[in-house]
Amino acid sequence: MNEVVMQHMTDLPSTHLLGTGTPMCSGCGGLEALHEIYDVLGKNTVFVNAAGCMTLLSVYPFTPFRGSWLYTAMASAPAGAQGVRDALDILLEQKCIKKEEDLEVVVLTGDGSAYGMGLSATSGAIERGLDFIYICYDNEGYGNTGQQFSAATPHAAKTATSRGSSGFAGYKKDLFSIWAAHKPSYVATVIGSEPLDLARKIEKAKQMKGPRLIIALAPCPPGWDFNPRDTVDIGKLAVKTGVWPLKEYIDGKVIHNIPHHRVPVEDYLQKQGRFVHLFTPKRNEEMLNEMQARVDAYWDAVSE
Amino acid sequence: MYRIRFHGRGGQGMKTASRILGTAFFLECFEVQDAPRYGAERRGAPIFSYVRASRSPINERGVITNPDLIVVADDSLIPIPAAGVLQGITDNTTLLINGHDDANTWKHRLNINCKVLILPVTEEVEDRAELPFVGSACVGAAARLIGVITEENLVEAVNDEISSLGADLIKQNIDQATQAFELMAKHEGLVKESTSKTPLDYEQPEWINIPFENASISAPTIHAAATSVEVRTGLWRTLRPVINYDRCKNCWWVCSTICPDSAISVNEKSEPVIDYDHCKGCMICVARCAPHAIETIPEQLAQEKEKQTA
Amino acid sequence: MTRKLLTGNGAAAWGARLANVDYVPAFPITPQTEIIETIAAWSDAGEIPARMVTLESEHSMITAAGAAAATGVRVFTATSSQGLLYGMEMVYTVAGWRVPLVMVNVSRGVAAPLTLESDHNDIMAARDSGFLQIHCSTCQEVLDSVLIAYRLAEDKNVRLPVIVNLDGFYLSYTREPVEIPEPEAIRKFLPAFDTKNSKFRASTPTSQAVAVLGGSPYSYFRYETHLAAMQAIDVYGDIAKTFSQQFGRNYPAIEAYRCEDAEIVYVMIGSFSTKAREAVDQLRQTGTAVGLVRPRLLRPFPTKELQKVTAGKQGIAVIDQNISMGKGGVLHTEVASALYGKSNAPKILTSFIGGLGGRDISAEEFYEMVKVTKQAINDGVTPEPRLLYTRDEYREMQKLQAIAHVEREELETTQ
Repeated sequence: MNEVVMQHMTDLPSTHLLGTGTPMCSGCGGLEALHEIYDVLGKNTVFVNAAGCMTLLSVYPFTPFRGSWLYTAMASAPAGAQGVRDALDILLEQKCIKKEEDLEVVVLTGDGSAYGMGLSATSGAIERGLDFIYICYDNEGYGNTGQQFSAATPHAAKTATSRGSSGFAGYKKDLFSIWAAHKPSYVATVIGSEPLDLARKIEKAKQMKGPRLIIALAPCPPGWDFNPRDTVDIGKLAVKTGVWPLKEYIDGKVIHNIPHHRVPVEDYLQKQGRFVHLFTPKRNEEMLNEMQARVDAYWDAVSE
Repeated sequence: MYRIRFHGRGGQGMKTASRILGTAFFLECFEVQDAPRYGAERRGAPIFSYVRASRSPINERGVITNPDLIVVADDSLIPIPAAGVLQGITDNTTLLINGHDDANTWKHRLNINCKVLILPVTEEVEDRAELPFVGSACVGAAARLIGVITEENLVEAVNDEISSLGADLIKQNIDQATQAFELMAKHEGLVKESTSKTPLDYEQPEWINIPFENASISAPTIHAAATSVEVRTGLWRTLRPVINYDRCKNCWWVCSTICPDSAISVNEKSEPVIDYDHCKGCMICVARCAPHAIETIPEQLAQEKEKQTA
Repeated sequence: MTRKLLTGNGAAAWGARLANVDYVPAFPITPQTEIIETIAAWSDAGEIPARMVTLESEHSMITAAGAAAATGVRVFTATSSQGLLYGMEMVYTVAGWRVPLVMVNVSRGVAAPLTLESDHNDIMAARDSGFLQIHCSTCQEVLDSVLIAYRLAEDKNVRLPVIVNLDGFYLSYTREPVEIPEPEAIRKFLPAFDTKNSKFRASTPTSQAVAVLGGSPYSYFRYETHLAAMQAIDVYGDIAKTFSQQFGRNYPAIEAYRCEDAEIVYVMIGSFSTKAREAVDQLRQTGTAVGLVRPRLLRPFPTKELQKVTAGKQGIAVIDQNISMGKGGVLHTEVASALYGKSNAPKILTSFIGGLGGRDISAEEFYEMVKVTKQAINDGVTPEPRLLYTRDEYREMQKLQAIAHVEREELETTQ
C-alpha cells in the first residue's frame, strides 16, 4: 500500500489532471473533491456518470477528462459501470487488449442519484461484487435543478422545496451505513477541504478490488447560500463540528477520525444562508439544541 | 393437417406429451407446431397443450379450436366447464379418454356423437396429480390412432423429450407408450386429417362496436370484497382431506390456521369444517394434525362414494 | 446444418449462440425467461464463452448492455413488455450512443390491466427510439433475424442497436422446426465483432454519450441518427440478399405474398401474419384475389417498398395488434402516411384492431375483413376503424363485471 506516500500536504500532487474550463459553479466543493480524487486515481479511468451537476462536465465538444467518460442516466450509472467493467474483462480475457490498456471504472453521481434513484442499481452492483469505485459528490440536494431537497438534505435546511420557517422536516439518510450493510470492500467519507485525508483514502481504495464507495460532502455556494470563498472554511467546519464524520468501513469495521476538539454545530450552520432562519429574526434555541444533541449523540455512540 | 389437443392436470405431463407427439411427427418428416397453453399452471389445475402436424408448412396459430383428436389424461376433468375439454368438438372429432367408464357411458353422459375411445387406466393411484406415465401412455395411444407414426419413432420421441430423467424412468415411459400403442392397434388410422374453414362455409363473426362506458364501469376495478370465492379451486383437488370427528380434538386453530387457502372454518361447536369447493388438496392439514384426525382419500373415490350415497 | 424443433425463445437463444456473443446482461420477465435460462445453461456448462450477468432491473440491464457495447464487445439481451417499458429511458439513450447491440423483445401487452399475453403495444412504444426493429412470424425467422440484426447493427453506415421482435406464447412457447446453421457458415456471414468504432482504452481517451447545449447540435445528432436508420433500409436489403444466397432463406424488408395480381392486400406484422397467409390461400381458392404484405422491418420503415407492392391495388386491410389511445392502430397510421398522395396508392385503407392481449384472430375474421374492404371499394367509402370484438365476448365481459359488482344501472337508465 502506498499510504506512506501521503503523509504530508507536501506529498500531494502538484500538477493536476482534471482539465480547466468546466461549467461547474465558482467555488464548487464537489469539483474540488473530484479534482483531488482524479489526481490520485490517475488518467487510466473511465468515469460512468449519472444525471446531476457533473453531467455538465462533458458538454459537447468539451471534456475536462484526460481519460474516458460515459454518461448513462440518473438511475443506472453503476449498471453502466458493470457493462464497461465486464466488457474490459472480456477483452482482457480474449487478449484483445493488453493489461496496460485496462481502466479503473469509476461511477460519479450526485446525492440525488446515490441516495435515491440510483440506490437500487448501486445495491445490485455491490451485491454482484463489481470491481469499481463509486464517487458521490453530496451537496445535500438536487443541485442541478435548483437545490430542491433530496434524501441527503439535512434537517432544517431551506431548499427550493422546503422554504417554510423550519426548513426541511426530514433527516439526512445514512447512506454510509446502507452501503456498508452490503459489506463491500471499502466505504469512506471524504471532503475536499481535507485533501490529505481524501488522498489517503482514495489511494487506499485504489489499491483494493471490488466495490469501493466514497461519499464526498460537497459544500455548494448557490445551494447552501454562502460566498464561494468560504467553501473550504465551511468544509473544515463540517468536520470540526462533527456534522460530517470522516470515517471508513473496512474489513467489517467502521473507523472514525475523531475530532480532537469539536466546536459547536452552530459555527457551521450560521455560515450558510440555508440555515439563517435558525438565527434570525430570532434564535431558534430549541432547534439548535436538537441539532447539537444529535451530533453529540452520534459521537457519544462512536466513543463507546 | 392433424390437430390434436391434450387435456390433463398440472403435474400429469401434458406439456411433455405434446412435445413427444410433436417430435414423433417431426421424425416422420411432418411440419409441426406444438405448444403448452400456459396460464395458472398449478398442480392439479386443468391444463392443456396442443400439436399441429402437416405435410406442408403450417400457417395456423394459437389454440386449436377444431380438434381432430382430443386426448384426456384425466376423465375427472371432462365435466368441468372451465377445463374446456370439449371445446370445438364435432362429430368428426375423436375423443380418447383415460378412464374407467366405457365409451357408451361417456357418449350418453355428454350427449355426443363423435368417436369415443377408452384408454384403460392401467393402475389406479391414490393421487391423480401423480398419475405415473399417463402422458406417455396418452401419446402412445394417440400416435396409433393417427396412424402415421411408427413405433420406432414413437420410442425415439419419448427418448428425445425425457432424456434427462434417467434410464429407469425412460424405460417405464417407453413401456407405457408402446403398450398403449399396441392397445390401439385395431383403431389405427382412425383419426383423419381435416381441412381448414374456407371462405365459402364460414360463420360470419358477430362483431359489435363496444359502447362507451365511463370509468366507474370500464376501469379494471373490483367493487366488492372477496369475490374470489366464486372460483371453485376445489376442482384442482386430486386428494381429499376428510376430518374424522371421533378423533378430532377440536384444536381448530391448527388446521384452520395453517390452511393456506382459508378453506377450513370453525363451526359453532368449535369443530373445523373443510370447504371442499375451495380446498385444493394440498394436505398440509393432514400432515400437521397431531391426533391424526384428518384422513387422505383419493378425490376420485370420494366423489364416487358421494354419488352412491346421493 | 441440423433441423430440430425449437420454441421461439429457443431460436432466439440459438441466434445469440451462433452470433458468438461476448456478453449477455439479463433480467427475467415472462414470456422471455426461457431465452436467458437457455443461455445461462449453456454458459454454466461451458458450451458458450459468453459472460452472463443478471442485473437488478431492465433499466440497469439495458444500461449495462449499452455500456459494454460502447467498450467494444458483442452484446445480446432480451426483455418483454413491462420490462421494455421500465428500461425505456435507456432504450432511447443507448440508441443515441450509436452502439451496436441486439435485443430480443418477446411481445406482450402492457398494463393496465396487467396481462401475460401477446400484443404489440410494448414494441410500438420503442418505435421512435432509434433502435431498429425486425418483426418475426416464425421461430426460424427469429433465429435468422438475430444473425441478420448483428450485421445490420454493426454495419459502419448504421451502427444502431436492433430489436428483434417475436410474439409471446404464439412464438415464444411454440415449437416449430428450425434449421440451425453450422457455426462455420455463420462465421462467413457474420464476422467477429469489430471494435474499431466503439471503445474505452487507456491509450485512447474517449468521452461518449456527452450532453449538448442548444438545439442545433442536438438536432444534428438526432437527425444523423435518423439518417443512419434510413441508411439501414439499403444495408438491410444487401444483408438479406447475402443471407438468402448463403442459407437459402429469403427475408426482404417487406414480405409480399401473392401480391402481384391481388386486388386487396392485408398488411400486418408478427406471428399472426401466417394466419393471414393461410386466409390468402383459402380466399384465392374461392377466386378472391388477395395478398399479404408483411413489413419485417418496422424501423426503418420501408416506405418505398410498401408503395411499390401496394401500387395499383384497390384496397388495403391493415391489422393492428396494438392501439394508440385516442388515435387507433399504429401500423394503420404508418401505412397511411407512406401512401397518402401517391398517385398509384389504393383508394381504400381499412383499419382493424384486434389480437390485443393474446386475443385470437380467427380465420372467419380474416375472411370478414376482406369482405368489409371489398364492400368499401364498391361503395368508395372507407369505413370507421373496426375493433375485432364479438357480441359473445362483450356478453362474457358483462358477466365478469357482474362478479366485480360493477354498477351498470347508471348506463342503462341514461341510454
